[in-house]
Amino acid sequence: MKHVGPISAGVLVLAGLPVVLSAAAPVQATKAAAKSPPASVNAPCASCHGVNGEGSAAAHVPRIAGQSAEYLQKQLDDYASGARDNAIMANFAKALSAEQRQEFARRYAAMSAPFLPEPTSSQRQLARGHQLAYQGDESIRVQACNGCHGPDGSGVLHAAPYLAGQSSEYIGSALKAFQTGLRKNDSGELMRSVAARLADADIIAVAAYFASEGPATH
Amino acid sequence: MAQRLKEVDVVIIGVGMVGTMVAKELAAAGYKVVGLERGQTRATVPEFQSPGIHDELRFDVRKALMQDNTREPVSFRNQTSQVALPVRRWESFLPGTGLGGSMVHWNGQTYRFQANDFQLATRTRERYGKNFLDSDLTIQDWGVTYNELEPHYDRFEYLLGTSGKAGNIKGQIQPGGDPHESPRSREYPTPPQKEHYQGALFRKAADSLGYHPFPQPSSNLSQPYTNPEGLKLNTCVFCGFCERYACEHYAKSVPQTVLLPVLLANPNFELRTGCQVQRINLDSSKKHATGVTYIDAVGREFEQPASLVITSMFAINNVRMLLLSGIGKPYEPASGQGVVGRNYAYQTMSTVASFFDEDVIINPFMASGASGTLINDFAGDNFDHSGLGFIGGAFIGAVNTNGRPIEYHPTPPGTPNWGKAWKQAVVKHYNHTVMFSLHGSSMAARQNYCDLDPTYRDAWGQPLLRITFDFPQNDLKMAAHVTAKAVEIGKAMGAKQVAGSPRKAPYTVTQYQTTHNTGGTVMGDNPKTSVVNRYLQSWDVPNVFVIGASNYPQNASWNPTDTLGALTYWAIDALKNKYLKNPGHLVSA
Repeated sequence: MKHVGPISAGVLVLAGLPVVLSAAAPVQATKAAAKSPPASVNAPCASCHGVNGEGSAAAHVPRIAGQSAEYLQKQLDDYASGARDNAIMANFAKALSAEQRQEFARRYAAMSAPFLPEPTSSQRQLARGHQLAYQGDESIRVQACNGCHGPDGSGVLHAAPYLAGQSSEYIGSALKAFQTGLRKNDSGELMRSVAARLADADIIAVAAYFASEGPATH
Repeated sequence: MAQRLKEVDVVIIGVGMVGTMVAKELAAAGYKVVGLERGQTRATVPEFQSPGIHDELRFDVRKALMQDNTREPVSFRNQTSQVALPVRRWESFLPGTGLGGSMVHWNGQTYRFQANDFQLATRTRERYGKNFLDSDLTIQDWGVTYNELEPHYDRFEYLLGTSGKAGNIKGQIQPGGDPHESPRSREYPTPPQKEHYQGALFRKAADSLGYHPFPQPSSNLSQPYTNPEGLKLNTCVFCGFCERYACEHYAKSVPQTVLLPVLLANPNFELRTGCQVQRINLDSSKKHATGVTYIDAVGREFEQPASLVITSMFAINNVRMLLLSGIGKPYEPASGQGVVGRNYAYQTMSTVASFFDEDVIINPFMASGASGTLINDFAGDNFDHSGLGFIGGAFIGAVNTNGRPIEYHPTPPGTPNWGKAWKQAVVKHYNHTVMFSLHGSSMAARQNYCDLDPTYRDAWGQPLLRITFDFPQNDLKMAAHVTAKAVEIGKAMGAKQVAGSPRKAPYTVTQYQTTHNTGGTVMGDNPKTSVVNRYLQSWDVPNVFVIGASNYPQNASWNPTDTLGALTYWAIDALKNKYLKNPGHLVSA
């Protein structure tokens, strides 16, 4: 658990994808396992999300270390119920009991992981991303991301996931999914309302900005 | 020496919700409109964004969104035998300033008045006889009926996107809504907000007592909404920073979110901020306005000529503008003569606090300004007042709007007001208390009025508005009666201790109650008892229209905003389809 994941985590994860699917079966759990899954049960998550939950930008796999437990659990529950549509995650989440989903969510919420820097974006993109994160833009009626996602995008317990340090690929694809309606498990259509008003360039900019910030220390 | 500007068709004093609505409609109809706003321009981005907007010290304690009373206070006294003093810190009520007006910091509670409210004098006489009223009351009919206003209520609510559940659609009672409401033509634009736990506790208790609980109509929206002007609003996130604050999420219906962008895009409209209007100018006949004189932010004086003047300021400022301009006869309480300043009324607010054991978790911070549950069984004339000795009533609701840490500290009676014992009580009760609001009517009375202060002046040298007000006996009796009913609901919720605080006299201007000041430029059918006719046109100067809660002859049991929106559309309709086609008196005196 304590060793730092390799820089080549992306490659590792891609190679490990089939493992996720085949690994789902052993997780079919007894009640005892639900209360406290053995450390080895991390393996199916770790093969994509990294040993420490650091995620993989290259594979569109989000960072989940230190993410809000409530948020992670809701996503796992939504994958299991179909409220959030993702074939890989659905297979995995459906195999878990509700208690196990909660346990995994708590476990990853408690983790910390090294930040894997991404290639630097243009100053202009970062400036636009910073504007959307901290101030918003009246001309497109979009409020500041941090108004919900917390100081410096650090997330708000029970309410909104952190964005700071999340991979730009993941933030970008999540915003596109909300914008196109592929993803609709946002309470009150809050993210769909915002994403619908963002241009593609805005999505790239804000995603690059949060990725560049690194994990918030709040 | 004032610099004289080029004449325009319409000048509007105050660009809040009313000013925005009037300006938008008249500019769209092709008229050249200038809007004069004393405060600053502001928008959801950047001015309303967090974390700045969640600053309790700045917005609650220091009242950052309110009229600057270091420059422009009001003076206050309870009765004519006293000397009024300037109110140097807003507490009892909070008049806003700046683009978007007071609505920027409203809670979004969006009620209609009931049909009988508009004919209160007539209906009271019919139901209870000629001698029922206390002799000091000066209540009267509005000169407009609910049925006349209904389409305008409807239009305003659809502009806002109000979230609620109808209780009466075209005479058909709707389950889940308020069965006491007057018929509405259709359902609310969006469904009610989610019910919080204290609302659920209240609903069950009220149900068990045979009352009719319903979800509070809210203009903090329950879902995304695109209004008829094409503007999109978002879902409210229950952050609990509505009243005294501005909404950062485009989720509260205010001029900035529902109409201003449309108005500001119209080249027929010009907004000028930082403009302090000194007076409406009259010609030598004193029966025709020629425009207004104002002083801009750097102290230059301008005269803006206009064919039509609309004063759409906060209620008490409408009154002051007419007094400063010499429009209409000032009210004189000793003789009862005169109209401007007459029938100033307010709202009679009482509270009931229900204290629970620590295993009942209320989470009071998880709220919007209008996400409560309430009953109208003791509001208005929804119950028989025979033998009670008063008219009017109050809604009772678990409508607590926030749990903001600097502002919200429920403690049981007997708790010290400071020190260790107070702190311990706050910690103990903060998350285990349900506060009811009892939002009561306020009857106009002979002794309550507004005039110009004989001593104190504002930063521009103009006399302050002086308010003389105390609660009439009628309203105190009402508060005691309804509070007793609310205490029973608190007990039925299973609270360990229930503390009722019926409103008591004297009225104190240093304790927050509500920002629902009404009257002073009352509407009606008789120029001897009203300032404006049923179309909100000055009886004395027909090219001046006065629009505000200052038009209410007395105040009803509900928050005034929805009715003001309806009255504004009603007046706009008269302006566009009657007055501007043929300027002159719309009603002969």
